[in-house]
Amino acid sequence: MIYNISHKTKYTYNEQVSLCQNIAKLFPRNTDIQKCIKSEITIFPEPDVVNEYEDYFGNKSVYFSLQKAHEELTVTVNSLIEKQKDETEISLIDQLSWEIVKGMLYEPKQEYFEARQFIQETGMTSSNQAIVEYTLKSFIKGRPFIEASENLMQRIFKDFKFQPGFTTIATPPSEVMKHKKGVCQDFAHLALACIRSLGLPARYVSGYIETVPPDGKEKLVGADASHAWFSIFVPNIGWVDFDPTNNMIPSQKHITIGWGRDYRDIVPLKGVIFSSDSHKLSVEVDVRRA
Amino acid sequence: MSLRNTEEAIFKNYISKQPSYNELLDEDGNLLTHWKEFFETYKTLGHEEFVNRNQHLQKLLQENGVTYNVYGDPTGQSRTWNLDPFPFLMNNEEWKKIESGLKQRAHLLDLIFKDIYGENKLIKNGLLPAELIYNHAGFLRECTGIPFKNKHGLILYSADVARSPDGNIWVLNDRTQAPSGSGYSQENRAAMVRIFPEFFKEVKVKRLSSYFTTLRNTLNSIAPSSNTQPRIVLLTPGPRNETYFEHSYLSSHLGISLVQGDDLMVKDNYVWIKTIAGLEKVDVIIRRVDDIYCDPLELKEDSQLGVPGLLQVIRAGNVSLANPLGCSILENPGLLPFLQNISNYFTGEELILPTLASWWCGQPRELKYVLDNLGSLVIRRIYRDTATSSSIDASSLSSAGLKELRDQIMMKPYLYIGQEKILFSSVPSYVNGNIEPRNVMFRSFLVSNNGTYEAMAGGLTRISSDAKSFIISNQAGGFSKDTWIISSEKYKSEAPPKDLQQAERHQHNDALPSRTAENLFWVGRYADRILANARYMRTVIQYINSKEGFSTDQDSHTEKVLLKALTHYTYSYPGFTDENNKEILQNPWGEIYDLFMNGERTGGLRYNINMILRSADAVRDYWSADTWRILKSLEEHRENQQTLKNRHKLINSLDNLITSMVAFIGLNRESISREHGWLLLDSGRKIEQSLLLITMLQSLMTQDHGASSQYDMMETFLSSNESLVNYRYTYKTHIQMSLVLDLMLFDNQNPHSLIHLLEKLKVHFEALPKGPTIYELHLHEKLVIEAITILKIADKKKLTKSDSETKEYKHLDELLSKLFSILLSVPFEISRTFFKHAQSQKQLYSSDIV
Repeated sequence: MIYNISHKTKYTYNEQVSLCQNIAKLFPRNTDIQKCIKSEITIFPEPDVVNEYEDYFGNKSVYFSLQKAHEELTVTVNSLIEKQKDETEISLIDQLSWEIVKGMLYEPKQEYFEARQFIQETGMTSSNQAIVEYTLKSFIKGRPFIEASENLMQRIFKDFKFQPGFTTIATPPSEVMKHKKGVCQDFAHLALACIRSLGLPARYVSGYIETVPPDGKEKLVGADASHAWFSIFVPNIGWVDFDPTNNMIPSQKHITIGWGRDYRDIVPLKGVIFSSDSHKLSVEVDVRRA
Repeated sequence: MSLRNTEEAIFKNYISKQPSYNELLDEDGNLLTHWKEFFETYKTLGHEEFVNRNQHLQKLLQENGVTYNVYGDPTGQSRTWNLDPFPFLMNNEEWKKIESGLKQRAHLLDLIFKDIYGENKLIKNGLLPAELIYNHAGFLRECTGIPFKNKHGLILYSADVARSPDGNIWVLNDRTQAPSGSGYSQENRAAMVRIFPEFFKEVKVKRLSSYFTTLRNTLNSIAPSSNTQPRIVLLTPGPRNETYFEHSYLSSHLGISLVQGDDLMVKDNYVWIKTIAGLEKVDVIIRRVDDIYCDPLELKEDSQLGVPGLLQVIRAGNVSLANPLGCSILENPGLLPFLQNISNYFTGEELILPTLASWWCGQPRELKYVLDNLGSLVIRRIYRDTATSSSIDASSLSSAGLKELRDQIMMKPYLYIGQEKILFSSVPSYVNGNIEPRNVMFRSFLVSNNGTYEAMAGGLTRISSDAKSFIISNQAGGFSKDTWIISSEKYKSEAPPKDLQQAERHQHNDALPSRTAENLFWVGRYADRILANARYMRTVIQYINSKEGFSTDQDSHTEKVLLKALTHYTYSYPGFTDENNKEILQNPWGEIYDLFMNGERTGGLRYNINMILRSADAVRDYWSADTWRILKSLEEHRENQQTLKNRHKLINSLDNLITSMVAFIGLNRESISREHGWLLLDSGRKIEQSLLLITMLQSLMTQDHGASSQYDMMETFLSSNESLVNYRYTYKTHIQMSLVLDLMLFDNQNPHSLIHLLEKLKVHFEALPKGPTIYELHLHEKLVIEAITILKIADKKKLTKSDSETKEYKHLDELLSKLFSILLSVPFEISRTFFKHAQSQKQLYSSDIV
């Protein structure tokens, strides 16, 4: 399966801005089941400085700076992705319980060591008593880590209402837990808070999902959006993704951009301008089969 | 020499209270050798004189404005620095050992720092638990993989050391992020040398200056470019920071610019300083801003203290920071239990200065030990933040407190270490008129020097606020001491070394940073505002006093006009112009006192004094000691006048204030050596004077109030503008309107006239940096030329003709209004042209994730 992804962000300022610096992390990574054929960024007006580098988690990052007065900024990333068949058959029979996984991670192995970086809670994935209690209903004694995580995903999908506009980037998981509402990023953060509260490794994944229009309707251009889900680390298997917003294990319809401990590590596009006035933002994302 | 025989009366107290290791006496009660010369000199000086000198010492610190800001202090933000006249002495042999131990430790921490952000061998090889680093908020993933160009990553290092009862020296804290205190140490020494010269003649104290020379050279040497005169700046969080005094002191001592985050900007992968002449490249930043605040683009998004994009410049290798970002990971006390093993791994060396026994609770066995022995340990969080105390003496807790602490540790054990508690040694301190023992902790300062480290031969000694306490902090009101390393050589004077002086000269030629320029401009404006307001207020009060008891209707009319003018003049509406409060004109004193005393009242004198102090404080390295003393006296005005509600005292107080302001203004010309700085300050003054002059003319002279009233008003006007004598001298006649206008608007010979002020402004503006094209004037220049022209072509005869019906001097009023509106735009245009730091910074986010 090949996808064409176009992600266009446009800022319109109310006054001229003389200096604008940004960092984009919008370039799909290669994974076991995904190959990035190309990914190109177009910035208008032309930036004066562009620095390209990999961040700590290996995500491609592009810093760019506009140093001449401008009134709007458009950033477009076009990517071509090939999804490969997921070959890993996850059998539930000989899987490790979450308690065993927790202990195993401290064995001296490079990949365990890498995974342990994703155990510590962050500001956006902090837990409290209510979150721990919620988690333990899925993480019952002796249950395989994958099965427990899947169950957690299902419960979040069932118990929480998808409601854009209720939360902001700064809403902590405790609030999401209390009101049982949010968007994909909140559900991903909540799941991370749950899993990490037990001392298990899980990371935040940023990406896209292909949306399918209702029967008989044409798909609207730009109707897609950035998406986020979570992934857990299982010894002998590796990272396993879960999408609590859609109650599915990401595979062919999910396109991974990259990952980090939480949203903050992989903000798709962020910037700083010098201006006292406000600005307008519009984002168009299009995920299409090529 | 037995101490008991010599200063028995004074020291009896000290000795009997001695709880821990005695820094003065050996086991037999004999004075240790390195204190002998000190006490001999002390004896010669006499206790009485010592106490007397101490008063001078405290006065000197206060006058020099040595302060330490205490967070959340309701009485105002700055507190005079506490210096105990009794120094802390250490003999050279012992110091040598401490010094080598500290150098070794600096090396070790440097290696750890480079490893954590580089190859990561310590974690991979199991010498450091991953959780200790990855769970620490000071580990900045954004800083990994940046190559180190210099031998040392860690440029500056500070350690707090203390002595246990058995006489051993221990390192208590490592400070690597933005270590503070070296400036206070230098200031302590400078004050001591000045007040107690006898001691430095007799006692062989090591000098501090070599440290600062090395620091300056090192800062030069770490500059990324081969520029032989790299631009170095000291980045401060600003005047509200607790150690702001030191930032300003150090920058001036090292001859480098003091800047805040918005004085700098990133462009073309370089850091630039905004000056009134444009941007200048910055090579080295010595930072006093905590690392996560340094770059709002990549680190803490809402930080207003940093420079967006800074990390990009660091990655590009185009700026060097001392210390580099990410260093606060080394302040992690969880590292302590692992240091010896790491040292074995890297160098195979035994640590010269041992670390206090410490247990990191992230390991099951250690956690158990800490919980089992909780009551006898000191518990520390691995990450220090200002909101919570990072050290808890568990023995001081109630059983409920202990339980709470235990629960906290159990919840997130990896965040805590348990540490053995030691009793610090004590030294004699002069407290409340007595000499008493105080527990002592000593902070030393090291700087990278050509591949090795150099330690300051001295440092900042701090003592507990009471005899029993072992918590030592400036925030908690502790005292500092000068630290004397006693060597075999005599003390040499502490003149700044040659290359420092050169550096200073060089830096003075640099263009003026825009924030400095703005503050100087505002100091100028407030100085003249205060002066003019005080003079006018005094004149009005004198008028009211002179008419009291036998005033005519005409006089009381004049009085009302004068009072209303006071409101216009000070811009403190509604005041005397309040139509709903006619009473206020009948009994004006409440309002007058309020205008004089109320610091919250916009436009009031006290308010303006607060404002000038704030601006002056932000550029304190511009003021000479004398100027600073005058500014401090303004602060005293502020403090002492709260209870003053007596007209005569009020006039007296206004007299003092006026004298202070005149002195302050007079001193500026000689004390501000940087030409552009003075030009901006003086431009601020001239603009303010022009606007005030126009306002006063508008409120007193655009209406015909009848001959007698008008005469009084013109007299008031001239006298409060310091021009009455000039008028009488020039015209030798009674006061006439046309002559008053001549003198105050058109006479270029009169330094108080509007034309004179505007012509001066024009000349000042010509001397300031030009715009992008030579032939195009800046807008503020055009405005002043326009005002001059309007004034020059005015039809003077018409100005003194009043309308027969309305009694208004319409032409005069129109002229003044026009000039006022033109001149009011001048400060705005100056700000737009020169004060580039004033742009506010905003986050852009594309947060549409669903």
